[in-house]
This record gives sequence, C-alpha cells and structure tokens, in this order.
Amino acid sequence: MDNVLQLAAAFSGSMGFALLFQVRRGKLLLASLGGLLAWAVYLALGPVISSDVPRFFIASVVLTIYGEILARVVKCPATLFLVTAAVPLIPGGSLYHTMRYFVEGDFAACSAQGLNTLLLALAIAAGMIVPTSLFQLIRRIRVWQAKKK
Amino acid sequence: MEQRRQSFFSADDANYLARAEAADRANEYLYRVLDIGQYMLQSGAEISRVEDSIRRLCASFGAERIDVLSITSSIVVTIYAPQFGAVTQTRRVAGQQYDLHRLEQLNQLSRRICTQYLSLEETEAALEEIRKTPQYPFGVQLFTYALISASFSLFFGGSVLDAVASGLIGVVLRYLDRIIRSTEANAFLSALICSCLGGLLAALSVKAGLGESVDMISIGNIMLLIPGIPLTNSLRDMFTGNTISGLLRFSEAILLALAIAFGFAAVAALM
Repeated sequence: MDNVLQLAAAFSGSMGFALLFQVRRGKLLLASLGGLLAWAVYLALGPVISSDVPRFFIASVVLTIYGEILARVVKCPATLFLVTAAVPLIPGGSLYHTMRYFVEGDFAACSAQGLNTLLLALAIAAGMIVPTSLFQLIRRIRVWQAKKK
Repeated sequence: MEQRRQSFFSADDANYLARAEAADRANEYLYRVLDIGQYMLQSGAEISRVEDSIRRLCASFGAERIDVLSITSSIVVTIYAPQFGAVTQTRRVAGQQYDLHRLEQLNQLSRRICTQYLSLEETEAALEEIRKTPQYPFGVQLFTYALISASFSLFFGGSVLDAVASGLIGVVLRYLDRIIRSTEANAFLSALICSCLGGLLAALSVKAGLGESVDMISIGNIMLLIPGIPLTNSLRDMFTGNTISGLLRFSEAILLALAIAFGFAAVAALM
C-alpha cells in the first residue's frame, strides 16, 4: 500500500515539475511516467539490493535511457524528460535531515546524513552519465560512418 | 615601399564595399543567432546544446570557421568567411526562466533554419512567435506549486494532513515568489526568504492543528524550491566537456539547495 502511494506521489510530483517547466500535452504524460518509472525501478530492486546507493544508480540509468530514447522518438531535447523524471530521486528528505542535525548542533549525525545525501546525488549523476556517453558515442560513430561513405 | 603602401590603400573600391556589406549582413544574422542561443540558455538548455546550435546556424548561412564559447552567463562567437572576414559578437545572458516548451520550439526553429535556410525576416517572425507563446496561466501555476508540495510531502512519508498543509504553503510560496521576482532580489536572498517563511508557516500550521509533522510539511516545500534543472544540467555539462559551466552551475545549485534546506531546518529547530 505504501509503495502504491509512493508511486502515485512520484507520478504526480513529476507531473507537477513538468507543469512548472511548461511541458505541454502529450509530453506531460510521458515526463510524469518517467518519474513513476524511476521510482518503480528503485522499489523493484528493494528485495535484491538493500543499499540505497546502487539502487539510485540503476534507477537513474534506466530513466536516462528512457529519456534519451523518447527524445529520439518524439524529436525533442532529452533534458525535458530527464529533468522531470529525475525529481523523485532527488534526496530532498535526506538533505533536510542533514541541515536539521546541523542546526541542532548534532555534528556526528549531520556528517553521516550529509555523506548519505552526497552519495545519493553522486549515484544519480553517475547513472545519468553512463547512458548519455553511450548515446553520444553511437551518434559519433554514425556521423563518422556517414562521412566515410 | 611608398608604392606598396599606395597599392594597399587604393584597393578596388567596389570589392571593399561588397565586403563591408557582407560583413553587415553577417553581423545581422549573427545577432539573430545569438538571440536564439540566449533564449535557449535562459529556458534551460545545456551548454553543449547551445554551442552546437550556434555552430550549425552559423554554418548554415555560410560561415567557414565558427568559434563559440558559452558559459552559463555569456556567449562569445567569432565567425569567419572570405566574403566578410572575421565577425565577432558577445552576449551577456542574465536571468533564467526555465521553460522546456520554449526550449523545444527553439530547437525546432534552429533545425528549420538549417534545413530550409530561412531568411532573416522569416527567422525574426518565427522568433517573435516563440516569444509570444503564452505560459501556463497563473491559476495553473498555483495548482502546480500545491501539487508538487503535496505529492512530495506524501512521498517522503507525511500524512494526508501534512500534504494538505504543504500544498497550501506551496500556494503562498508562489505568491511570495512573484513578489520577490518583481523586486529583482538575487537568487540566494529569495531562496532564504522563501525557505524561512515556508518553515515558519509549517511550524505554525502544526501548532494550529493542520498537519502533524513540521519535517514532512517542510520536505514537500523543499522539493518544490530545489534547483532541479541546474543540478541535472550541470552534471550533463561537466561530462560533455564543458567543465567550467558545469562547475559554475553545480556550485550555484548546491549552495542554493543548502540555503533552502538551512532556512527550513533553522526555523523548525527554533520553534
């Protein structure tokens, strides 16, 4: 039940950001589905991997592939899907708790939580980089082949 | 020596005029190209996309060599062709208004210019049309702020009451954002004001019985304010070789995120 609620919230949260950034009509739905997909991947990995960092990484890889493929299918910048779909992964809660500990003067808890926030952010970043670089490589190879002919 | 000098100055006048005229036209084209680049940057494009588009656009109107450098707040372009020599323009880019729909339109326009070789007038008309495309009305924006806040309050484990409180605070923050924007305060100040007021309202609404956890209400509003586009874009920038811009934007986004979380947490701890 909790999971269903989270998935629904991830969907509507992504849709909120898509609206905020002026995404229109059909793409609105696709962008929101991206957020749902990212969180679904994270949840599905739960029984297999217990640590958050690799789960965030894989979720980020999947959503980037989703974004890059969609960008080619509907012919628009991949940013549009990446930015909105990555929102549920942004460690806002963790960041808030880090700052909360900091303000309360509990520096041990603050640094532990801060490290966690940083690692999650890095996992998302690393997850985005892998597919993006691959797609770029494929494009370069295609351009190069076209030139050879 | 004297003779050489004379021959230099008595260059073929017609040829010289043609060249000056070509340079004028090149300058006008370049100005439009920079308009497109500027709007792209402002509506949330990555640096590599901006530079790439400018390069293609310049090539499409006949520049042989194109040197583009763009960082988050400035664009510098020098183009060269034998007909008009070297032409340089720079553009300072200030103020961002993330609009992915506009970005998409600009992207399409630049593709169209490159494939159909639009004239200067046609380009201008198309740009004007993009400029005129309306954004979502203010009512929808209010709903959007509420939707994001409420969703993420639930998402991070808040109750339904927390979500309602967070949503209402989101609406207040939209109004506050409008007021702050009109005073043109810098991003950090506006983030601090928004987050402190958000934290205060969260604490008050718990005291008034609307909502149960200050933390859960605040987290919904934090997700709303966190600079998501700059964060993702900065990473993409860094790993496509635009390290300077990536780092600039990344540090800006991190500082903003910290300021926002700090504002909420500080008020929550004080109350």
